[in-house]
Amino acid sequence: MKVSDEKLSRVEIITNMAKVEALRSELGKYGITGMTVFEAKGCGVQLGTQEYEVEKTDEPKLLDKQVVMVVMPTSGVDKFLEFVEKELYTGHIGDGKIFISSVTNAVRVRTGEEGKDALTEGKAY
Amino acid sequence: MHEKNLGLRNVIATGVGLIVATSCLLSLGLGASSIGVTFIISMAVAGLLNALLAMSVSELNALMPNLTGGLAQYTLACMGPFVTIIVMVGGYVACNTVISSVECAMFGNTMSQVLPQLNIPGSAYCVVLLVLLIIANLNGVDVFAKVQDVVAYGLIISLMLMGVMGCLHIGTGEVIEQPAVLASDFKSVTGLCGVAFFLFIGVEYVVPITDKVKNARVNVPLGMVISLVIIMIMQSLLVIGFKNYTTWEELAASTTPHVLYGAKLLGKFGTIWMAVVSILAVTSSVNTILSSLSYICEGMAKINLLPDIFLKTNKKGAPYVGILLIGGIMILINVTGLSTSESLAFFILTGCVFWMVAYIVTHINVLILRKRLPKAPRTFKAPFTPFLQIVGILGTVWMIWNIDSDPTVRMSIYKLCGIIFIVLMVYAFIWTKAVIKKPMFKAYPVKDVMAMENDLYHEYRKNSVKKGTDKYEYIS
Repeated sequence: MKVSDEKLSRVEIITNMAKVEALRSELGKYGITGMTVFEAKGCGVQLGTQEYEVEKTDEPKLLDKQVVMVVMPTSGVDKFLEFVEKELYTGHIGDGKIFISSVTNAVRVRTGEEGKDALTEGKAY
Repeated sequence: MHEKNLGLRNVIATGVGLIVATSCLLSLGLGASSIGVTFIISMAVAGLLNALLAMSVSELNALMPNLTGGLAQYTLACMGPFVTIIVMVGGYVACNTVISSVECAMFGNTMSQVLPQLNIPGSAYCVVLLVLLIIANLNGVDVFAKVQDVVAYGLIISLMLMGVMGCLHIGTGEVIEQPAVLASDFKSVTGLCGVAFFLFIGVEYVVPITDKVKNARVNVPLGMVISLVIIMIMQSLLVIGFKNYTTWEELAASTTPHVLYGAKLLGKFGTIWMAVVSILAVTSSVNTILSSLSYICEGMAKINLLPDIFLKTNKKGAPYVGILLIGGIMILINVTGLSTSESLAFFILTGCVFWMVAYIVTHINVLILRKRLPKAPRTFKAPFTPFLQIVGILGTVWMIWNIDSDPTVRMSIYKLCGIIFIVLMVYAFIWTKAVIKKPMFKAYPVKDVMAMENDLYHEYRKNSVKKGTDKYEYIS
């Protein structure tokens, strides 16, 4: 597998269902050409304790979450993150987490295009 | 989850609603008669300082959105419970209840002047108005918004029209010739900035309705600034109108300058029109105060700075305990005639000092949270921080220093402020140590203050007390 010429990043956003729609409708503005959303269960630092509960649970409780995954050129990540952070922010526990990681390459199976070409309309037809 | 059914229009109505009050029109007359149209410069300075406050409030609202108590929660997260109690109880709840009662009394006096043949005492008008507004507010925010829109826009249009007519010399009354400028030196103009400050005070009352506003991150700051700009334009037109139709001497002597202006501009019709404006101004102001203070009390109860009883809501979601209590106190003040005594004007100024202290605390809150949470995403960031906050703080201190042009009165205000401050400190000390049992000056973490907003937060703690599994204690 070759390494992409242009640096790519994977942004994984863990949030709740109500926020996914807001993200989906705005993603086009940041040059993002695709997204994958999957249902998940999980907990964070509070181990699933709700903000209104009196005592923090010792045993992790897994809460329903959504994971939004996008792969995009690294150059656009900062601007995109700024938007996502503001969109998800409520100030309450459970606003979510964002993980950013490097992607070595991407391949469009149908055409064999790689790197940024695989994420956009591409040149092959 | 609250339904977001209010828009920019409602935000502006709420902002203008509280700011433009009968006492503001009185201050406008007093300021204009002192130095002439140069009072517009004083107004511009005061308006600018209030715009800075709107910026700070908007940033705090962006960082801690959808809080019913507004400044109470911001201050709790920045300076702890002791300062919060003093600022909110002194600067808001007590001060505004008294000021609002005086508004009602001025309305009653105006009605008695306009309709002397009915021989109805002024306090009767006040009580009827207050009862109607209490009923409207008990019916929830929808009714509140409808009432607010009608009165605020009626008020804006009326005052704008009368201002324009005065400026363009198209009134039926006699246009008079007199110097436009009585004084333009730095000391005169800046000395009246304290008076001018009252013309814009109260824009932050938008905050308690934020969680019901669509696209609040844009509509709230924009609505606040638009409210201030509208008021600035409207009052500037009126100052020029005053110059064209009322002598400065008459204006200075009048206790109801707006009625005087109406009479000089349009005769009997103008008097009646200004009476209508008074009704709109008072309805708008008292309605906003009644609603906002009850929400602020609810918000303070949520963070355990007031008793839990303020959390109770009726079927329409209105915090009825706060509405009935504050409305009841206003009725009581008016019925006993307290608000018609001359000394109350003095108490209003004293209350306004506390209000200004609350503004200073607001600016400081922004600086504290910028330092503590520098990377937290803010959908609105006040520009040029900390420069603008420092300007806001210094400007407000300066306003307090110029709260009255008479040094004797000023010192008396400071003395009374000192006494009230000591009383509030005792109350805050007892409440902090004996009731909530928290360190007085330790700021609460933002996430804890946000959690307190959740209705289940209190339910869970009450249930745990009943079960004996936990003390009714707040997270630290």
